[in-house]
Amino acid sequence: MAPARSTLTYLLIAIVGALTVCPVLMLALGSFSEGLTAFGDFTVDKYVEAYSDPAFLEVMVNTTLFVLGSSTLSTTLAIFLAYLNTRTDIPFKFLFGILSIIPMMIPHLLFSVSWALLLNPSNGLLNLGLMQAFSLESVPFNIYSLGGMILVEGLLDLPIAYLIIAPAMGAFDVTLEESSRVAGASAWRTLFRVTLPVLRPAILAAFILGVVRSLASFAVPQVIGMPGRVHVLATHLYEMIATGFATDYGKAAAVGMSVLAASVTLIVVYRALTAESEKFVTVSSRGFRPTVIELGKARTPLFGAVALLSFMLIVLPVAVLLYTSLVPYSMVPSARAFSMMDLRHWASVLGDPISLLALKNSLFLAVAGATLGVVLSVFVAYVIVKVKSRASGLLESLSYLSFSFPGIVIGVGFMWFFVQTPLYATIWALLLGYIATYLPYGIRPMSSAFIQIHSHLEESSLVCGASPMTTMRRIIVPLLVPGIVSGWILMASMFVRELTLSVVLSRPGTEVLAVQILRFAEDGLWGRLSALGIVMIFISTTLVVAATLVGARFRIAEAA
Amino acid sequence: MEIRIRGVSKYYYSEGKTIKALDGVDLTIPANQIFTLLGPSGCGKTTLLRCIVGLEMPDTGEISIGGDVVWSKEKGISVPPEKRGLGMVFQTYAIWPHMNVFDNVAYPLQVRGVPGDVIRQSVEKILRFVQLQGFERRPATKLSGGQQQRVALARALVAEPKVILFDEPLSNLDAKLREETRKELRAFLTELKITAVYVTHDRVEALALSDSIAVMRAGQIVEIGTPQKIYFDADHRFVADFIGRANLVKAVVRAEEDGHTVVDSPLGRIACQHRDIPVGSEATLCIRPEFIRIVSGEQPAGANLVNGRIESLVFVGEVYEAEIRVGEERLLARIDPDVRLGEGDAVSFTLDPAHCLLVAL
Repeated sequence: MAPARSTLTYLLIAIVGALTVCPVLMLALGSFSEGLTAFGDFTVDKYVEAYSDPAFLEVMVNTTLFVLGSSTLSTTLAIFLAYLNTRTDIPFKFLFGILSIIPMMIPHLLFSVSWALLLNPSNGLLNLGLMQAFSLESVPFNIYSLGGMILVEGLLDLPIAYLIIAPAMGAFDVTLEESSRVAGASAWRTLFRVTLPVLRPAILAAFILGVVRSLASFAVPQVIGMPGRVHVLATHLYEMIATGFATDYGKAAAVGMSVLAASVTLIVVYRALTAESEKFVTVSSRGFRPTVIELGKARTPLFGAVALLSFMLIVLPVAVLLYTSLVPYSMVPSARAFSMMDLRHWASVLGDPISLLALKNSLFLAVAGATLGVVLSVFVAYVIVKVKSRASGLLESLSYLSFSFPGIVIGVGFMWFFVQTPLYATIWALLLGYIATYLPYGIRPMSSAFIQIHSHLEESSLVCGASPMTTMRRIIVPLLVPGIVSGWILMASMFVRELTLSVVLSRPGTEVLAVQILRFAEDGLWGRLSALGIVMIFISTTLVVAATLVGARFRIAEAA
Repeated sequence: MEIRIRGVSKYYYSEGKTIKALDGVDLTIPANQIFTLLGPSGCGKTTLLRCIVGLEMPDTGEISIGGDVVWSKEKGISVPPEKRGLGMVFQTYAIWPHMNVFDNVAYPLQVRGVPGDVIRQSVEKILRFVQLQGFERRPATKLSGGQQQRVALARALVAEPKVILFDEPLSNLDAKLREETRKELRAFLTELKITAVYVTHDRVEALALSDSIAVMRAGQIVEIGTPQKIYFDADHRFVADFIGRANLVKAVVRAEEDGHTVVDSPLGRIACQHRDIPVGSEATLCIRPEFIRIVSGEQPAGANLVNGRIESLVFVGEVYEAEIRVGEERLLARIDPDVRLGEGDAVSFTLDPAHCLLVAL
């Protein structure tokens, strides 16, 4: 059994290594090459060119402000919401659960577009409405600015920050606070001297993850930053490879190297912090309900704030897209607007061969990619959890490496690789890229499924007289099924809306949904964009709801 | 069925070092007994159990169960666990969460291809035996700890194995339930006439359950005997110390008198249970706290009369626990609650030579 296991381990290291290390290696080699056609001729020209570009300084400043601003916004909001949910008597607590899941169903690209539709300076719906209502001379808001980008990205990263901070706050040992109160500190003093410092690792982890995500973010900078000429690294990089005739993959690789290095470093810090926060947070007070702070008069306004946030995060984007898909051109909702509603945008999208091709490609990538990804994840998770060796530790590090990959950067790396192969400009290039980049999302549910299968469950079947094959069929596979299903759905829903990698690798003939939506945005075809966007949200939502239901069933089975 | 273990060793390699989990174990477990492997954690008891059941492969030696060799390094025999026909109760119970009680218990019969109606009868019988009748359709996850334990026992017994193995099966239960389950288990096993191998680190559990106990340390068997033998007449200091609370005092053998071995110790001259130790050699005198008898009033100076002073006295319910100072030694004693004594009082006590053990250093 032992030699078979180590063969499997090395085989998986080879596969996962090829998927994750290869694009990084090609990115590095590419950054020292003259161009896609002159791969391997060593030069440092691209670095000199990329980093001495006078625009680069401005890009760096913008990126820093964007990344820090949006992470601060998302972390602050997350602390606020987590505290309200876990520690106060705020009503309608189920809203918080929805707030942390729903935004996963609305792709970042569409969320950005909906805010552009609401607050753009020429005909943003909310802007026009406010102008009419208060008879203003000019539009009150301009989303096409650094501030607008920070707002939208901050809202997008809020759920993930909340998912990190809320459990830490929920598991917080309230006796730490109580002893501070007994020692004579006020509630506020206790919050700042005890509660927040104890939660610091979780808060920092949420902040750093926000930084990594906004650094990798492409949808917000492209949809909201570009019209306002606010360039950040992601869009700066994209311009080098997408616009005009002078695409320069060497220069893009040179810039990408530093983005990748920053991202990997931050993820290493993040993983150290989450390990730290697990150590820090004490769960000793199980069975005790944490003291609930009564909000009193502040209850209604605070709830209003939460309700407004939920509205902004969930209802508004979908409503705007649906509305825009039905009206002939941008106009403030009115009786006249509703009377003019028709399905012309839907008809033109459903009659557009490229949109249909994109839909077909995305569905294929979701089904085939998630299936292959889950098969790979099952084996990788098995080795990580059940085979404890130095090689399996290496496999674990390798497979979580891509967690820190900014899609667009790794897309450039893959580009350098695929150009050397016949896979270039085929759907298989996208398939491989997707699996490599999103592998951790498949491995995570699988490894928690494997962790739940205590080795005794397997061993007792053997002792009962069942052969290893019977044990596999009757014990292991049935216990794994929920993990397999939720891993598949999670990966499929990510693949349906994939943008950042696709935007680099997609070529005529291999369009996918998100790329097609971006094209509509660039051409200002908001109606068609909205119609196609609703289709995408529908597919994505169906998958996430299915995943939640499977997850809930699994938890019920595991409970008690 | 008798289990014979000959020269079994098992090594683990970690960070360049070799750890001997089992170090040349020779052991014969007699048929139809409850045989306990007792020792501190890391002594190799669980590894030995897993070697018997076939979940671990020893590096050397031979294991046979009821005359059939199931493992032999030399002969190259290795019977996999599913072919050994044993029953086992795991520490975690290992109840399969995706099956109900009936399927969990029926599993060993199902994989043997037993016909359905026979399975139903056997499961019903065994569930009645462990007092879980009517629980067939209950999902495995909806059971309490004690019920899971009984399902695990039923599953181990349903195929009527000749040997059943237990790996610390009571350690996940709370104290009260543990005591009840221990009594039940003893009753079940005695009724069944089955060879049971039981692993635990809990000395009370071992004493209460077993017909024989093997005490293990660092991959080796130190001593084997009945619970009484292990508790009262241990040969090794480690065993005497591990199995119960003991006062251990250094002593030197001086003479053989009237069938007793007489030693000089800080307590004075003490007559002990006979041991074949040469005069003049050193040994350890082991006295259990409950065998220190306080004598009140004037007593004739006689054999094993010791004078001391009470250093501390703690009431723990059924007795006082006293620390008695004799010279430089402090002895732990259990004193009846009705003896009127206070801290600082001078006391005399006697030691029955039958309960003064000399153990190897």
